[in-house]
Amino acid sequence: MPIKKRGTGLTAVADAWQLADIDVTASYPIRPYTAVMAEVAKRIANGQMKCEMVHGEGEHAQFSIAHGASMAGARATTGSSGVGVTYAFEVYSPIAGGRCPIQALVGDRTLDPPGDFGSEHTDCLTLRDNGWIYGWAENAQESLDNSLMYFRIGEDPDIMLPQIVAMDGYFVTHIAQEYEMPDQEQVDKFLPPFRPQFRLDVNNPVIMGPQIEPEMGPPLEWDRNVVMDRVKAKIAAVTEEFGKVFGRKYAPFVEEYMTEDADMVFLLQGAHAITCRSAIKYLREAGYKVGMCRLRWFRPFPDMALKQILPKFKVVGVIDTNTSYGASGGGGVLLVETRAAVSELANKPMIQGFTSGLGGETITHEEFFKMAEMMRETLRAGRIIQDSTWVNFNDYVEGASEVKAAQQEVAQTKE
Amino acid sequence: MAVAEMIKSIAQAPEKEYYLPGHRTCAGCGPALAYRLIAKAAGKNTIFIGPTGCMYVANTSYACGPWAVPWTHAQITNGGAVGSGIEAAFKMMIKKGKIQDEFPNIIVMAGDGGAIDIGLQAASAMMYRGHDVLFVMYDNESYANTGIQTSPATPYGATTMFTPAGPEIPEAKKFFPKDPMALFCGGGHPEVKYGATASVSYPIDLMNKVRKGLAYEGPAFLHVQCPCPKGWTFPADRTVELGKLAVEVGMWFLYELENGVKKFSYTPKKLKPVEEYLQTQGRFSHLQPEHIAKLQAWVNAKAQNLGLEVPLPPVR
Repeated sequence: MPIKKRGTGLTAVADAWQLADIDVTASYPIRPYTAVMAEVAKRIANGQMKCEMVHGEGEHAQFSIAHGASMAGARATTGSSGVGVTYAFEVYSPIAGGRCPIQALVGDRTLDPPGDFGSEHTDCLTLRDNGWIYGWAENAQESLDNSLMYFRIGEDPDIMLPQIVAMDGYFVTHIAQEYEMPDQEQVDKFLPPFRPQFRLDVNNPVIMGPQIEPEMGPPLEWDRNVVMDRVKAKIAAVTEEFGKVFGRKYAPFVEEYMTEDADMVFLLQGAHAITCRSAIKYLREAGYKVGMCRLRWFRPFPDMALKQILPKFKVVGVIDTNTSYGASGGGGVLLVETRAAVSELANKPMIQGFTSGLGGETITHEEFFKMAEMMRETLRAGRIIQDSTWVNFNDYVEGASEVKAAQQEVAQTKE
Repeated sequence: MAVAEMIKSIAQAPEKEYYLPGHRTCAGCGPALAYRLIAKAAGKNTIFIGPTGCMYVANTSYACGPWAVPWTHAQITNGGAVGSGIEAAFKMMIKKGKIQDEFPNIIVMAGDGGAIDIGLQAASAMMYRGHDVLFVMYDNESYANTGIQTSPATPYGATTMFTPAGPEIPEAKKFFPKDPMALFCGGGHPEVKYGATASVSYPIDLMNKVRKGLAYEGPAFLHVQCPCPKGWTFPADRTVELGKLAVEVGMWFLYELENGVKKFSYTPKKLKPVEEYLQTQGRFSHLQPEHIAKLQAWVNAKAQNLGLEVPLPPVR
């Protein structure tokens, strides 16, 4: 029977790794992801999990250890945060190019400087061109569920790609919340054992990762490109099957919230979606026809889904909880990707960028109201007023006027 | 510890090769010879990890490789870490019964850069953690696949692309090399019970040291001198001769450190002057008498530190 538990995104992923019977995990301490390794260590020590935990001497080693373990045929995991993620940069492409489906947990942390524990998606987004598949979970339950789905998708013989279960540091990694841990029987039904077609096996010797001549490279890269495309169909199928086995249904690529009659939507990923939904309720009461699109995947980027969904709206406010200094549009990574996804559509909406929630700050109701107000200005003007706005830094409206007025009214009555 | 089956003579060495013809290493390549002997000694139940270096580039250039056993590339940075992961995986998968394999010989074949320069961190951590891996440093005393640049194993006074000799720097390379045996087997890595130096010019000794290292449970280290005709600038038919001469002059010492006990594998009756060795290689051709004296003093000090009790040449 599934068990109701109280825990965090990290204990939830530890549950997933236990259920997936991982063979090797590689650790190195950095906040906030660290607690998943502490949890796995505890479970190994008390006999709950049978797994080799290798204490890497840094993140570069962590990912290399998991890479080696995967080539030997093991189900291997690791994880990191912030500058730990970028310290390992060299080895991401070799792991993906070697088609080793290891799984990493990234609990987002702001890159230095300044030293900041808070969540920003920049760490994990820097990996976007390395051939890993990943997306953000908004809570503990989705972290656990994503971990299981990612193993299933990444280890599929047609795919064989490494995955990152990404989640906002603190908001998902550390806030205690209710979730359900599936039972072993369900997981065994959903996730077959990892049996790669090729592994390091003395009875069937293979050469892995040889050097090649220039003309031999492009076909291999074409294959990596093709498989990224193939992942999309697999995501759709596996997400549906997951719903059938575990009873939790997810939109495969983009979750829509209150979009049916919306003329404008927030587009974001990760934990801020929770505050966003609640802000939308207030905004709706104040007459804003606003909804939300939450990306469940970042790589592959859900461009086909967005091509279908976004033309329904007039204004899309892309919220970037990351920085990409000098990027097209002056905002973050999601703005660039979203605009590119629909750029060739005749009926594309106006797409503007917001940078918010940096440094681990929550995006407050007030800030969502401000963004809604700015989007409404765009709607009224019928053109993009400002490509991208750093909320609280270069807002072009005072704030959500109607919502603010209502709040002030309430405040006055209280006085 | 399993008992290593020793090879008594070349005639008794296994005939079966696991490092086969069909690669494009240079004529007279020392590292290729090392690979052949190490693979032969280790046998079929072996997995090689090859961090970037000559033995990656020259062996695998056409999406294939000359090994009859499994081989995988690692980055030049992470041979020790990839080896650790492979070892951990086999240990756990065998324990869980997920595979029926016999635990394999796992050998990292790192060049000098991949072992004691950019790869040092991963090598050190692998040994600290006690992984059952033989870490071989095939030492051709430079970054050779990139066209001969200085590494921490390049001898004092050698020219490389990054250390040319000129009026301002007449001796070319100014630093003395790191000592890998001291780094890995000097007591700083308590899990390492066996470490040895070897040379391609002493094949029986090399093969037996491979077997001894593999027989130990836990990490073992082998530092193999591999003369490099291109990098050292000498004729390709003199590789083995130069390896021997290195030992005769004390530019290489053959010894083992087994459970903390040092044992010389071969000791010349007396050390020849280092100049005899320097004369054989273009990389030293610019050296002035004062540089040669400095190198001789270093050789003598090293011999004394190691406890080699043979007559030493005078420092002039």
